[in-house]
Amino acid sequence: MKKYLLKRIAISIMTLLVILLVLFLMLEYMPGSPFNDEKLTVDQLALLNQKYGLDQPVIIRFFNYIKNMLTGDFGVSYTISKNTPISTLLQTRLPISLRVGGQAVLLGTIVGLVLGVIAAIKHNTIWDTLTTVISVLGVSLPSYVFALGLSYYLGFKVTLFPLLYSAEAAFKSSVLPTIALCMFTIATIARFTRTEMLEVLGSDYMQLAESKGISGIKLLTRHALRNALIPIITVLAPLIVGLMTGSLVIEKIFSIPGIGSLLVTAIQSNDYNVIVALAFIYSAMYIGIMLVVDILYGVVDPRIRLAKEDNHE
Amino acid sequence: MKSVKKLLTLAMATMLSVSLVACGGAKVTSSNANGQQTSTSSDKTLKVQFDVEVASMDPQIATDGTSFEAIAAVTEGLYSVDAAGSPILAAAESAEKSEDGLTYTFKVRDNKWSNGTNVTANDFVFAWRRLADPKTASEYGFMISIAGIKNADDVLSGKKGVEELGVTAKDDETLVVELSHPVTFFESLLSFPSFFPVNEEFFKEAGDSFATSPDTILANGPYKVSSYEPAATTIELVKNADYWDANSVKIDGVKYQVIKEAQQTMLAYQNGDLDVATLAGEQVEQFKNDPEFNNVAAGYLWYISVNQKVAGFENENLRKAFALSYDKEAIVNNILKDGSIAADFAVPKLLATGPDGKDFRETTGTYLSTDKAKALDYYNKAKQELGKEAFTYKMMVEDTESAQNVAQFIQSEIQTTLPGVTIELEVMPKKNRVERMQAGDFESVLTRWGPDYADPMTYLDMWTTDSPNNYGFWSNAEYDKAIQSAKKGELALNPEARWEALKKAEKTVMDEAVILPVYQKGNAVMIKKNVSGIENHSVGVPRILKNVTMN
Repeated sequence: MKKYLLKRIAISIMTLLVILLVLFLMLEYMPGSPFNDEKLTVDQLALLNQKYGLDQPVIIRFFNYIKNMLTGDFGVSYTISKNTPISTLLQTRLPISLRVGGQAVLLGTIVGLVLGVIAAIKHNTIWDTLTTVISVLGVSLPSYVFALGLSYYLGFKVTLFPLLYSAEAAFKSSVLPTIALCMFTIATIARFTRTEMLEVLGSDYMQLAESKGISGIKLLTRHALRNALIPIITVLAPLIVGLMTGSLVIEKIFSIPGIGSLLVTAIQSNDYNVIVALAFIYSAMYIGIMLVVDILYGVVDPRIRLAKEDNHE
Repeated sequence: MKSVKKLLTLAMATMLSVSLVACGGAKVTSSNANGQQTSTSSDKTLKVQFDVEVASMDPQIATDGTSFEAIAAVTEGLYSVDAAGSPILAAAESAEKSEDGLTYTFKVRDNKWSNGTNVTANDFVFAWRRLADPKTASEYGFMISIAGIKNADDVLSGKKGVEELGVTAKDDETLVVELSHPVTFFESLLSFPSFFPVNEEFFKEAGDSFATSPDTILANGPYKVSSYEPAATTIELVKNADYWDANSVKIDGVKYQVIKEAQQTMLAYQNGDLDVATLAGEQVEQFKNDPEFNNVAAGYLWYISVNQKVAGFENENLRKAFALSYDKEAIVNNILKDGSIAADFAVPKLLATGPDGKDFRETTGTYLSTDKAKALDYYNKAKQELGKEAFTYKMMVEDTESAQNVAQFIQSEIQTTLPGVTIELEVMPKKNRVERMQAGDFESVLTRWGPDYADPMTYLDMWTTDSPNNYGFWSNAEYDKAIQSAKKGELALNPEARWEALKKAEKTVMDEAVILPVYQKGNAVMIKKNVSGIENHSVGVPRILKNVTMN
């Protein structure tokens, strides 16, 4: 297991390096530069490029960047927050994004599971239909539609929650974004849970368990849900990543000072260092989540862990 | 358990239907009476919306209007501008101009920075040297050259050290500025944030973190920063009790809130979370009859630049035909509807006041007003001269909604007015548009230009042969000579003659249809009715909040 993990981590690091290189190349070929102001003279541009080391060839910048990154230096922002070290921006912003995103994952998973289970148990009743309707809507409607709708009704008509994020009421003002963000997760998880649960509930061993006299909650959680969980964990990983991209829009709508809104602005203004740092973090999170999910498989179903160990040792 | 499930499902269902209804009819009504109550609380803090984050609170680094507004709320230069846009003494108590217009002596007012130290002449020397220093690489470094300060160009290019810049502190209160040539709009330039003072000692102490937090931002203006971080979505300012003119400051503070989403902005405004909010183009229709609706003139001039190296556009008659062929009134009244005005000029309104005390536009003519019949005349002449019956041109336009709407309208107007002309639109992000203009890789483009200082020169200089921003490659030796003289030559010594020469220069640009003007941008702003005294400007600091009152 340990060896497997080490190998995975090594591959992850390599992947991240490749991503970084691709990012650098892509930015190099992106139209414009961080200093897009048409009023800048040639001399000034040269001065600016020199100051920030942008006059160097891309490959040298790439290695310099990696060297600096190892010491925790992600460079400074060129345009959106001029001369501010990226690490300073991340310090305050990353936790906010992680918190809102985490809330959404948690809420989305729990509500999705509950809905899915209900739909499976009450198969072919009104509850089932309702869950299906919710699922279809949640999957098909983009999160910003929910965001604007929630803002209008719960933030404006009934002033239940603040319209905008504020640091003073950090939790209360993150309720609407969390809900808007997790709708897709709810829908997807509910759909998968329902399908998986129906399959499990109809299986022989469930009938056996039931006939053995195991009943109610225990039957549901220990026998049915646990077996249904594996495919759900598989979809959870891309869902969490989906949340990260969803946060780009949601953060903008609710004025959340997170990294999602930062990335959007950075791309629009060619703020190279900010784009690289944030895209890198997103990639690292994605790879990290995939790793965690693989490990989780083993926890939920010991057979998978054994199988992997066989493969790798 | 069962009831819990039921409740949960019910809650979900309600939430969903609520969101659904919202998508169908997210109409914003202004009937939210209880929400508006919150805005008129005893706390007199003005809540203002920004649609973008402040890029920098460092006066010599910032280049955008949003940053300028926030900087000007806490920092004061030698001059500020009054509501009408004329320069007024601010951090300077008095100013003395030498006979030849080449030396200015300022007495710095007895005023304190928010850390208790005095504002001195040296704070200006330090800041201006910093602006000119190639090491700072300030994007607005060129302002020091526009101001005509002695040795500015050599310092900017690194040929001379910053100590040789023509600015010295004779003593703590006396600042002497030497110019290399008289600059008629020098005072008004000094109200530009790039010239705002920085305390040297404080700056060095703060180091790299200068201007990144309330602790590293010094105020000598009406307000001081109580909450700020780089790229913050909220910025809070409180009244600066130590400010020399604190008696004029009638409110307790300002809270800037960044909201980029148009619907959220207006919901927040109607909720009472904002006192001042800028409307997006598509919202104007809905609010234009509201008593709190305001139109604010902005300095931006939108125009079509045609590349005279492209076959056909070297022909003056063809350019004129194009310029007269689209209905500008329809563009501002039916498409933009945000207070923009039709531009029959090359130098915008409310930009510059002349030696006669009048706005440049008041004493000049109008040019290239829409006239479709005349357009056709010019077109027929052009066809003859060029020996062509049909013309196809590409027009670049940036991908914002309003720019595209305007471009599409112009496209159809030109094509209908001038049979045989085909315009193909090329839509792209702004940075691509700028890049291709700079490379000369375009046929025609819908573009804009914002003023940097309150003088027609900020526009007219653009069309000289050597200007990097002369995208259309028009060239006129006489024009170049006049502009050069008005900048640094004989005309610079005679403000009245200079003013007349600038009027003539504009006429030339328009007579030869160097650019095809479209409109001068206006902004639609909602301001709560209990708020007054917000001063808007089309150049420099876009909004000054010093004299705001809230009832």
